[in-house]
Order: sequence, then C-alpha cells, then structure tokens
Amino acid sequence: MALASGSARLALARPGRLGLGSCGAPRRGAYEWGVRSTRKPEPPPPDRVYEIPGLEPITYAGKMHFMPGLARPVFPPWDPGWTPPKFRRLPPLHEHPLYKDQACYVFHQRCRLLEGVKQALWLTKTKLIEGLPEKVLSLADDPRNHIENQDECVLNVIFHARLWHSTEDIPKRETYCPVIVDSLIQLCKSQILKHPSLARRICAQNNMLSTTWNRGSTLIQVHGSSGAQLNAKDPLPPIASREEVEATKNHVLETFYPISPTVGLQECNVYDVNDDTGFREGYPYPYPHTLYLLESANLRPHRFQPDQLRAKMILFAFGNALAQARLLYGNDTKVLEQPVVVQSVGTDGRVFQFLVLQLNTTDLASDEGVKNLVWLDSDQLLYAHFWCLPVVRRKAVVGPL
Amino acid sequence: MAAARCWRLVLRVPGLSLHTAAGAAVTAPEVTGPDVAAAPVARYPPLVASLTADSKAARQRRVERWQATVHAAKSVDEKLRILTKMQFMKYIVYPQTFALNADRWYQSFTKTVFLSGLPPPPPAKPDTEPAPALDVAALRAAACDCLLQEHFFLRRKKRVPLYLEREAIASPFLDQLVASLTGLLSARNPALAAAALDCKRPVHFYWLRGEEIIPRGHRKGRVDALRYQINDKPHNQIRISKQLPEFVPLDYSVPVEVPVMNCKPDKLPLFKRQYENTIFIGTKTADPHCYGHTQFHLLPDKLKRERLLKQNCANQIEVVFRANAIASLFAWTGAQAMYQGFWSEADVTRPFVSQGVITDGKYFSFFCYQLNTLALTAQADQNNPRKNICWGTQKFTVTWNRCLS
Repeated sequence: MALASGSARLALARPGRLGLGSCGAPRRGAYEWGVRSTRKPEPPPPDRVYEIPGLEPITYAGKMHFMPGLARPVFPPWDPGWTPPKFRRLPPLHEHPLYKDQACYVFHQRCRLLEGVKQALWLTKTKLIEGLPEKVLSLADDPRNHIENQDECVLNVIFHARLWHSTEDIPKRETYCPVIVDSLIQLCKSQILKHPSLARRICAQNNMLSTTWNRGSTLIQVHGSSGAQLNAKDPLPPIASREEVEATKNHVLETFYPISPTVGLQECNVYDVNDDTGFREGYPYPYPHTLYLLESANLRPHRFQPDQLRAKMILFAFGNALAQARLLYGNDTKVLEQPVVVQSVGTDGRVFQFLVLQLNTTDLASDEGVKNLVWLDSDQLLYAHFWCLPVVRRKAVVGPL
Repeated sequence: MAAARCWRLVLRVPGLSLHTAAGAAVTAPEVTGPDVAAAPVARYPPLVASLTADSKAARQRRVERWQATVHAAKSVDEKLRILTKMQFMKYIVYPQTFALNADRWYQSFTKTVFLSGLPPPPPAKPDTEPAPALDVAALRAAACDCLLQEHFFLRRKKRVPLYLEREAIASPFLDQLVASLTGLLSARNPALAAAALDCKRPVHFYWLRGEEIIPRGHRKGRVDALRYQINDKPHNQIRISKQLPEFVPLDYSVPVEVPVMNCKPDKLPLFKRQYENTIFIGTKTADPHCYGHTQFHLLPDKLKRERLLKQNCANQIEVVFRANAIASLFAWTGAQAMYQGFWSEADVTRPFVSQGVITDGKYFSFFCYQLNTLALTAQADQNNPRKNICWGTQKFTVTWNRCLS
C-alpha cells in the first residue's frame, strides 16, 4: 500500500498515533523520523530483571566494564548544571520579572506611524507650527554667521559625498548619507573660532533612551537609540514666550478617528517604567542639543517616508526632552517653569527635515491644558539631483558632470 | 638615398650603437652647419630601434614609448589610468601585520629611513607673531571627556563582550577624540578649521620596486619588476587644501642606511594576487582638499599587546606600530604625490609631508613621514640619493587615574 504523502495525510484528518493501522501511514512524519544515517541508535531495552518488583538487580556498574551475566545498569539522567547559550530557551513572558498586566505601547527606531505627524502630535500633546522659529532663522540669516565661500564649501561637500569619497563610480546611499551629514557638521564646527561655545558640545552614539508617559489610559514609551546625538554643557534657551505657551491652552489636538492613536507602536507587556536618558549621573554634557536621524538604506522600501521620518523625529526629541525634564524637575506632572528645548535633523542624504521641540508640560494624561510646541521645517532639498556620470546621448555629452 | 640605405644595412648587423648612429646621422649635417647656411633639421629620419623585434633595444624603445604617453597625458586621471591599467601579479602589503620584523621589510620596500624621536622643529620666523599658548588643560579635559563618555557614562543596550570591545568602545572614542581635538586646536591652526575629516575611507597605493628573475612559467628566466599594493583603511584622516611645510630639505642626506633584505619578499610572508591597481588618497582627484595632514589608526585585536606577550613577542610590539606607520603614511604621501602628477620617472620636486597617530585604544604612538622620492623602480633608482624619512616616538599611555584627577 502506498504511503500517503504529508498533505494527503492532513486531508485525511489523521486519527492520531494509533500505530500502523489507519490507512497505512507511519506514526511519525519524515521530519520527526529524521534521516536514517544521522539517527542515534535506540537504547537497548532494560533487562527483564527490572520488571520484577522488590528485587535489586546486580549490575556491572561497580566493575566499570561489561560482564556477561550481570544486569545492565540504569543511571539517573545527568544534569550538566548549565545550558550553552545556543540551546537556552527564554522563560515564558509571564515569568519575566518585568512583566506587567497593563500593556505598554513602545515606539522604537523602526516604528512607522500610520498617521505620521498627526499621530505623533497627538501622542506627545504637541501643537505644530510650520517653519522654524524666528530665533533660529535669524541665526541663519545673520551675515556674521555665514561661513566664507559658503556656497562653494557646500558644493564641495555635496560633490565629496556623492562622487569623490569612494573609488566606485556611483557611491551608494549607505556610504554617502553619513558622509554628507558628517561633512556638514564639520563645516559648522569650522566656525569654532567665532563661536567658542561650539567646543562645549560632544557627539554620542548608541545611547539607549527610555521614557514612559500616560496618555489618557494608555501607557506609551519611547525606547531605543536614535543614532547620533549632540549633547551640550549648556541648555538651549526656551523659544516661545510664556504668552505663547499659555495660548496653546486653546488649541485642540487633532484626532483621527477611527484609527487608534497607538497603531504602529509595538504593544508589549514586558517593559521597564524607569526613565533613562542613556547617560549616567555626572555626565559633563547633560543637555541633549540635537538628534541626527539618518535614513541611509539603499532600497527605497527600507527607508522611511518623509512623514514617518518627521513623526520619528518628533517622538525621539520628545522622549529626550521628557527624560531631561524629569531628571531636572522630578517625576510629578506639572507645567514646566523653564521649558526644555531639543532640536532634531532628519535626512536621507538629499531631503532634510528640521525640527525644534519645546517641552512646556509633563502633564500629558489629559487633553486639556498647556500643550508642547514643535516647529517643523519639512522637505528642504539640499540639491535637486546629482548625476555621477555625464549623460551621453548619440555620442555627445548632454547632461552635466 | 642609396648611400643612406646601405649605411643603415651596415649598422643593423651588430645590433649596437644604433642610437649613436642615429645621433651621428642627426649631428652630421649640424657639423657641416657653418658651411651650409640653412637646414639645422636632419635630412633623414632618426635611426631608432625596432618596435616589434624580440630584442632588448626594442623592449627599451617600447618602454620609453609608454613612458612618453604618461608624460604627455593631459590630466592626472589619465596619467593614473595609464600607470595602473595593466594588471599583473603583485604583492599585497598589509600595514597592520603580525609578521616578525615587518618594519625593516617595509623600510626596504619603500626606501624609508626610520629615525626615533620627532623631527626638528621649524626655524622660528622672526617677523611673525608667536602663536597663542597651547591650552593643555582644555585639551586634557576634552580627551578625558571622550574617554569617560565611551568607557563609563554612555549606557548601551547590552554589556559589550570582550571581543567586541575595541569596535564598540575604542572606535567611537577615537572618532570623538579626533573631532574634539581638531576643534580645539583650530584656534592655533586655521587650516584645521577648514580641513576635511574622513572616517574609515580607503587609501590605496600601487608602486614598483626592485626586480626579480621569474622562477617558472612561460616567462621563466626573464627579468620582471616587483609590484606592490597597499589597501589601507585608516580610522580617521584629516585632509587640508594647502600642503604641510617640509621638515627637512628635499635632498637632506640621512646618515642612517635603508635596510637591505637579502631574501625575496615572500619570506616575510607576503603573497601575490592580481586585481585592480588603485591609487586613492581618500577622495578623487577633483577634491580641493588633496593634501594630507594626519591619519589615525586603530590596531585590531589580533595585534594587541597581551596577545603578543603571550606569544613571547614582546619586542614586536613596537615593530607593529612602526610597520603600520611606515606602510600607511608611505601609501598616503605617495598617493598625494601621484595626485599632483609626480610618478617614478617624474620625481617629486617638493617633499610631501604627513603625520600619523597609531593606537590600540590605550597606547598612542606618533609618527611623521616625509616623502622625498617616488623613483623606486629599478630604472629610476639607479642614481637616486634621496630617501624617504619616517620619525616615530615611543608609546604614550592614556590612563584612567590621569582622567579622574
């Protein structure tokens, strides 16, 4: 009788391991049988002596070698005392020391929010203002702050990142995106002679941020590293005046019913509520200044859309600001006397997003009251396009080099 | 015409003195110049060796024709292309190597002399004002901040295992250190403020040095040049747009001799492979920042102190640092010189100077390199008295108690 194949057996709704009856299919599938050449030999059955109750069989265990006529000893299973990391199984979630019944919605660096900026604003109780604040724009427009040959330097930076820095003809985004950000930061740092406060900053990477807050009845957490972060010895001054902060009381947060505000966040029951800025106490550069978020994957589906990138920037800046505020002013929820300001820059190598976030209140549970403020400058192109090789049509160079 | 023809036939037989004959043919009318009023130009084309014959003179003529194309190349890219387009088997020189006494071998490959200590300070110019005093305390504070940030203050996701410590801790520490110190020192050196900072960008160099007799194969018994390639990846490098001033004059004669190794490079061990010949300083030729300032190297785990001590190679610890410095800095300065259009037949007219800092996370060594000559091929090196010079210091440690004090 031909053996039924796996699918056929499933179709027959296998009646369980009843031996080789029932359609002649074997008890175990091929995966459980294993390849014959690699199967371990089955252990020999125990001696019949063990079946006699009350009798102590005489075995050759003491003699340390086989002796015909004596019974085969049966040893208790050996417990090695430790498992190699390869074979260790995690305990079930319920037994984890950090398990909690209330689910927490965690935002990490690969979370894509469905509603993008709107959802991020709702989660952080923030009001959006398009365009960067006047204070920051005036710094950029002030001719004393301009670097000499600024345009030429920036053009060199773009050429270096997109064409020159690698032996390949067309460098990939994974290499040129960090190179362009590093070069632009270096260009800004070249003004250290005019602005000595630039020396009071340091860059850090891979710091683990963790903050948790309640939004209504849901618990939301920002956890993870956001890439490179610039920390400073002095805090950023608040941007919006007290009147503007009080005026946000009238603003109503935009909801996006029927989409839940926690869509896109990872729901988990094992989490730690304690805040962590990513640095220990006594760090000489305690104030977060700017976060740099790079989208440098080569393939477009692996990169965040601009809206999702802006949402990620808002949430990570907010997480840093909240952790800092709680460190400075305590864990109780209140409106901050001295608002905490954090900036963020997000890019994919060509399109830049700039963000300044001012944390005015840590009272995030209700929808009323003072809101936080965020100024967002989106989709700024550093350059329109870049062709690495000259475009040649009909043996004549048509496009730029 | 008939006379010229048999003149040529008579001279072709011994295969010698064709050039002198050509010279004679060219100069002959010039000797009678004062008698003849016009025509200083030779009446007959010069007598030169054949291009396609199987003879040494023909080979010499082909080589000279190739060298003439390099001299006549209009752009540096074209020149580099002609020099590197033919691929043959070459030795691959690794700057960070476990080979014993690699620094002496590398000195012989690159015609470098090693002097311990730092180069002589430049003569103080009386007309310029003295530079602002070096704020050592601020530099020390910045270095301590970088060290403590990576080793202590930064909370990472998981405790870093021992074998990843270098990559996860020492590498960001070196990045941060270079960035902070460059920023702080740019007050004394405005060129540093405008410098370009590269992070883990490749540096390649290809050169020919010495000759060997091919041992086996269809070209057995023939003389062949030895080719070398360095593919290096310094951890950080600073590039500037103006060249650093020289430490010593171009024709400075060093009393120390370049070590001469009597064995083939295979004994080092060094292995041959054939692949693309590249010459690269970290950017392409179009970049205005084409001169080097300083390179920073981080030694891998394979060459760390504890491992060498366990292998009873305590005297090789310094050798590792020196070999890395000589090879990396020679490759970088050589590539910079080639980007300016110099090559082995067109030797450098000004010395190319670069500096290097080699560290294993705890011990730092400082090196300075001056490239005086690129003419390392057998043909160009016959009457070349110039040598490249490398100055190097002993190791300095960065210790915890100094930071916390």
